[in-house]
Amino acid sequence: MTGDATMSKTILVVEDQEDNRQILRDLLGSAGFRMVEAHDGEQALAMARSQRPDLILMDIQLPILDGYEATRAIKRDPALKHIPIIAVTSYALSGDETRAREAGCDAYVAKPYSTRHLLAKIGVFLEQPR
Amino acid sequence: MVGRDALVGYVARFPAPVRTKLLAAFLLIVLLLVALGATGLLALREVEQRSRELAALQHKIDAFRQMQHDTLRQLYGVSAALAARDDATLASALRQINQFGYDLDRVAFVAGDDQALLGRLREEYAKFIAGATEALESKRAGKTMVLSEQLARDADRLERLSNQLVNRAEADMVNGVDASSATYERSRVYVFAFALAGFLLTLALGYTISRSIVEPVREIDDRLNRIAEGDFSQRVVVTNRDELGALAQHVNLTCERLQELYQRLEDASRHKSQFLANMSHELRTPLNAILGFGELMLDGIYGEVPERMRAPLERMQSNGKHLLGLINDVLDLSKIEAGQFELSLAEYSVDELVAGVYGAVEPLAAEKKLSLSTRVPPGLPPARGDERRLAQALLNLVGNAIKFTEKGEVAIEVAAGKDALTFSVRDTGPGIADTDQLKIFEEFQQLDGSITKTKMGSGLGLAIAKRIVEMHGGRIWVDSSPGAGATFSFTAPERVE
Repeated sequence: MTGDATMSKTILVVEDQEDNRQILRDLLGSAGFRMVEAHDGEQALAMARSQRPDLILMDIQLPILDGYEATRAIKRDPALKHIPIIAVTSYALSGDETRAREAGCDAYVAKPYSTRHLLAKIGVFLEQPR
Repeated sequence: MVGRDALVGYVARFPAPVRTKLLAAFLLIVLLLVALGATGLLALREVEQRSRELAALQHKIDAFRQMQHDTLRQLYGVSAALAARDDATLASALRQINQFGYDLDRVAFVAGDDQALLGRLREEYAKFIAGATEALESKRAGKTMVLSEQLARDADRLERLSNQLVNRAEADMVNGVDASSATYERSRVYVFAFALAGFLLTLALGYTISRSIVEPVREIDDRLNRIAEGDFSQRVVVTNRDELGALAQHVNLTCERLQELYQRLEDASRHKSQFLANMSHELRTPLNAILGFGELMLDGIYGEVPERMRAPLERMQSNGKHLLGLINDVLDLSKIEAGQFELSLAEYSVDELVAGVYGAVEPLAAEKKLSLSTRVPPGLPPARGDERRLAQALLNLVGNAIKFTEKGEVAIEVAAGKDALTFSVRDTGPGIADTDQLKIFEEFQQLDGSITKTKMGSGLGLAIAKRIVEMHGGRIWVDSSPGAGATFSFTAPERVE
């Protein structure tokens, strides 16, 4: 089930909730992706620089530096700006999609997302290794 | 204009009760009327005085004329007597001459300021009498006597003097008439000017008093209307230092108290909504995790799910999703109430919006074997609004329609009006009684009855739809009667900017 680690794509998951990280760990792991984690916006920036992920799943409500700020910082960095970022936001905050796109996010998923739907979104940017 | 307003301001600020001000104004008007009457009376008296003087002059002229006439008659009598021979004529002439002395005494009464002239007349006359008496006496004695040169000259002067007296009196008369008409003219001007001044003053007074009372009343009324509309921001500015000033102060004080109260209530309400919004968000986080793990389990990520566990696991998932839906509804509504609900405006395709809703509910309709149809006019231009929220409103209506319809159909229709789109959802469900048709759009209003009790729902779907529609500037309503199905409709402006 797990793909070859050297061949698999790396996804940076920025998420402050351990349960949600666990779900994504299980989901992405089972889909054959390598997952690296960050718990807040600052870590996200550091991880993006050190790990050079192929895609970032960015939660918007984060401590320290929120998802919009982190996204803007990544998109300002010439070495990182090509990395696609999928914003993950809470359901009812209206105007989120517009704001996420303004901050530079490439796609947008509202919580609660179905795991199948999320995989499909990721698949738009990354070819799934299997 | 400025002066007049300054006067209004002065009257307003004058520290006296309104009643006193009104009384003072009326007293002033009464005083003006009295003054007007007095002026008229004075003028009348002056005119009367003049006419009395004229009457006196007339008497004088009559007396002088009489005297002149008599003088001529004396002269004539004396010369006639001198020409005649009989003693009787001579005696008569002498008597007449003496009689004339009384006439002169009488004239002295009316002569007034002509006394000097009259004195000379008397002197001349005395000379004349002396001459005439002498002549007549000599004649009586038998001497033939002709009117002496001296006597003739005396007579001549006498005549001239009496003429002069008459002329002067007549000139006085003419002057008197002139003066009288001048007096009359002056009196008329006085009375007229007084009347005009009184009229203007009364008008100014009325204007000032009424302005100083009506303006504050209008100001206060205006303020009260604004307070009734919920605007507590301004204060009444009334400079009056009377009952109206006190009233304005009370209105201001009441307004402040109301504002405080209103602010407190509003804050409390916002805090409550904020609390609800935070609370629902906190509730959702663990629920999302539960649903996520459940989905992974059902997807077999953690290994094959035993057949006996699959159905309960699915029940857990569907109930979890339902709970999430309820929490989301509460979150939506409390966000609306807390003023945190903003429209995310963008262009959207009506076709896609309807298709999205159709796709979401199609499985539900199929499950109940209901016919589900959509009708959208072809070639609609892109509309502008919050697509996700409009879809949510339409979804709530369609969801309700499917939930309450047991057999028949549910139809989604869009009609394009002049500047607005009308979305309608028609069903063949049980329908809604007139009395309930307004209630259903309020929060937590579920109709009593066996049908609704068996249906799950937060009772917030229509309330949320209503808010969304209203935030777009549209309206929502229902046409229905029990047993005949229901049609829920809402309008949305084609372009919300």
